Amino acid sequence: MNRVTQYYPILPVLLAYAILFIVGQTVSGTWQLVATLLFYCAMGQAFNIFLGMTGYVDFGYVAFMGMGTYGMALAITRLAHLPGLGAVVIVIGFGLALLMATLLSLAVGAVALRLRGAYFAIATIGVNEGFRFLIEGARIWNGAEGMIFTAQLVNIVGSERASRLMTYWADVMVLAIAVLAAAVTLFYMRNRVGYALTALREDEDAAKVMGINVTKYKIIAFITSACFAGLVGAASWALKTPYVFPPEVFEIHYTVEAIIIVMLGGAGTLLGPIVGGLIYGISKYYLSIFLPGLQLLVFAPIIIVIIVMFPEGVVGVLKNRTRNTALGRFII
Amino acid sequence: MNLRVFKRLMLIVAAVGFVLIGCQKPESKAPEKKAETAAEKTAAAPDKPAAGLDKILIGHPACLSGKYAKAGEQAVGGIKAALDWVNNTYGGVTLGGRKVPLEYIYYDCESAKEAVTSLIGRLAMSDKVHVVFSPYSSGLTLRGAPVTEANKILYMDHGGASNAIFRQGFKYIVQTIGPATSYHQGTLNMIKATDPAAKKVALAYEDSEFAKMVMEGAREHARKLGFEIVFERTYPKGVTDLTPLLSALKASNPDFILGGGHFEDGQLFNRQMADLGIDTKALSLIAAATLPAFYEALTNMAEGVMGPSHWEYGVKYSEREAKKVGLQWIGPSQDEFVALFKKAVGKEMIPDYHAAEAAAQVLAYTLAVEKANSVEVDPVRAALGDLTFMSFYGGWDVDDTGMQVGHTMVDVQWQNGERVIVWPPEAQTGKPVYPMPTFAEKAQGKKAIAGM
Repeated sequence: MNRVTQYYPILPVLLAYAILFIVGQTVSGTWQLVATLLFYCAMGQAFNIFLGMTGYVDFGYVAFMGMGTYGMALAITRLAHLPGLGAVVIVIGFGLALLMATLLSLAVGAVALRLRGAYFAIATIGVNEGFRFLIEGARIWNGAEGMIFTAQLVNIVGSERASRLMTYWADVMVLAIAVLAAAVTLFYMRNRVGYALTALREDEDAAKVMGINVTKYKIIAFITSACFAGLVGAASWALKTPYVFPPEVFEIHYTVEAIIIVMLGGAGTLLGPIVGGLIYGISKYYLSIFLPGLQLLVFAPIIIVIIVMFPEGVVGVLKNRTRNTALGRFII
Repeated sequence: MNLRVFKRLMLIVAAVGFVLIGCQKPESKAPEKKAETAAEKTAAAPDKPAAGLDKILIGHPACLSGKYAKAGEQAVGGIKAALDWVNNTYGGVTLGGRKVPLEYIYYDCESAKEAVTSLIGRLAMSDKVHVVFSPYSSGLTLRGAPVTEANKILYMDHGGASNAIFRQGFKYIVQTIGPATSYHQGTLNMIKATDPAAKKVALAYEDSEFAKMVMEGAREHARKLGFEIVFERTYPKGVTDLTPLLSALKASNPDFILGGGHFEDGQLFNRQMADLGIDTKALSLIAAATLPAFYEALTNMAEGVMGPSHWEYGVKYSEREAKKVGLQWIGPSQDEFVALFKKAVGKEMIPDYHAAEAAAQVLAYTLAVEKANSVEVDPVRAALGDLTFMSFYGGWDVDDTGMQVGHTMVDVQWQNGERVIVWPPEAQTGKPVYPMPTFAEKAQGKKAIAGM
């Protein structure tokens, strides 16, 4: 496999996102649905870098999205009064989101990544709740009151642009983050990082014996995943919805959603988070329209059936079926 | 049957299920989903002249599941009850000389922000509704606002009490629920009217966005009325011991206390005041004191304790009261509303304030469309700005930002184990017991019973 053909699997990813984008642009009334689907895909894509590639389940994942949201919120609220900065504030916000998510992932990773399996999962359960109570209890960044900053966003970019930013450009940014996360996943898969992560996922002790610095590679995957989570939070929560309340951005529900999306699509696969995000998002959307109030009764069995049918995820099964075929080189 | 065959069978069942759900016409699922067909038929409705309209569409991303499901169920029931009244008793909305019925399209947003925007996108662009009613909570209301603004659709808020919503510069949002800052205004007015000698007030409340906003309004109104704030302190969410705070509060010797945040801390507040023997003339606790569970948990210790509420079953707002204060009256009487609500939800259920404010919002929209003689967003928004009326929910008026300023909270007091509405006078079902009995008296079984 030469250097170009090994990156062919990015093509179905780009195709899927291009179709989503075109549908959102051309079919009336679907852009906000597409935005939601992009959010689920991006969240899954970011989470897959850690969960899928290492096999570790991080229940504190939403905390990184929360940190990203706070990063953007702080940039907007603290810099809105400075004249002449304009959209640069948004760039600073993304930088701050990255920095804060990285710092938190370093702090959490330094402690929790020394643990394995269930112990790691248990150690991370408290991260989001602990961080939320720290912010509320110590009254950091406005504490429990949170921040509402639509007015500041309007000050920075103007009324029309702010409206467009909240209803369109924030979603386009989520799309870009999702594509970038997929590209980084593929890059890792085709390089030393990916091989090391695959080895440690299959048997950590054996990988260690073979001379792989497993802690180093776990931290690389953890920080990368956290960075993308921070960017998703900054775009989808802070820019699309210019407010931040601690209970909403540290809600464990989103971590559970990310786990379901990755498992549905296929943990450790490139295309899996997109397929998982689409199945999850579309099912929820249409069930909430056709069976309002009862959709969860139908949704839960559907998820169970899919997991039973495809224990390795939809893309995982597809990958096995297409192995050694022409199609197989595109599906990983 | 081997596993492989079973799996295939399950896959086919799941696929068929999805296809069936996808192909299903919404109207066949539930009667209220008839609106979907109407929406399709009147897809270009907002662009047509008002005279051509055969239905006015109200869209709503309702919270029917998730953390706000109870409030969502009440709101949907209230809206359906009000629609029933407008369409069948009132005869429809007078528009261009014709009576046009209202129709209600709602989906379940699962109390999740992602669903709020996608469903409002659908309501605005595919269903082409004329107005969107907000989901419950300030956060979810804020989430939907940019989408309705971008689509130039009227967004009516019956679930988001935060004043901050109206400081963001949104043009098309109008509030029905009273803002958080108004919660204790009635309590303060009542004490001012009942006991002009009372001067010292203590504020002790939860460190949360909602409670802080409530107390911001209370602080400002108290100062306006000439009260002196002798103590003000917050406590963290999930607090398990308030004795240090209450001991400090006791030292400030207030005439009355305003406090609370949620049910658990409100209950703790009352219990530990009793333990420490802190007696004041009045105690008003937000969110907790109006709930039946508050009295069930505290029994006699809750006697005389008050709490503000947007609306309570039993309020005395009526056409006669409206005439007295010079306001237009619209809508069913309270008893008619309760009957319509029970019919709408299909069970024996008493509506709470979530239902009442959602219903009042339908009445406000009806009057605004009639006043504007249009369903176009700008004239209706302008009409809502000029509108004042009274319904079974109370008064209705908004300021320039769209924030509700005409609705007065009602104050409820526990008297002899019953919730009695003691303020405002036009809604009261009994006189306030002031000062409330001391905790020592209550421990001996004394009840808060108003004198004749």
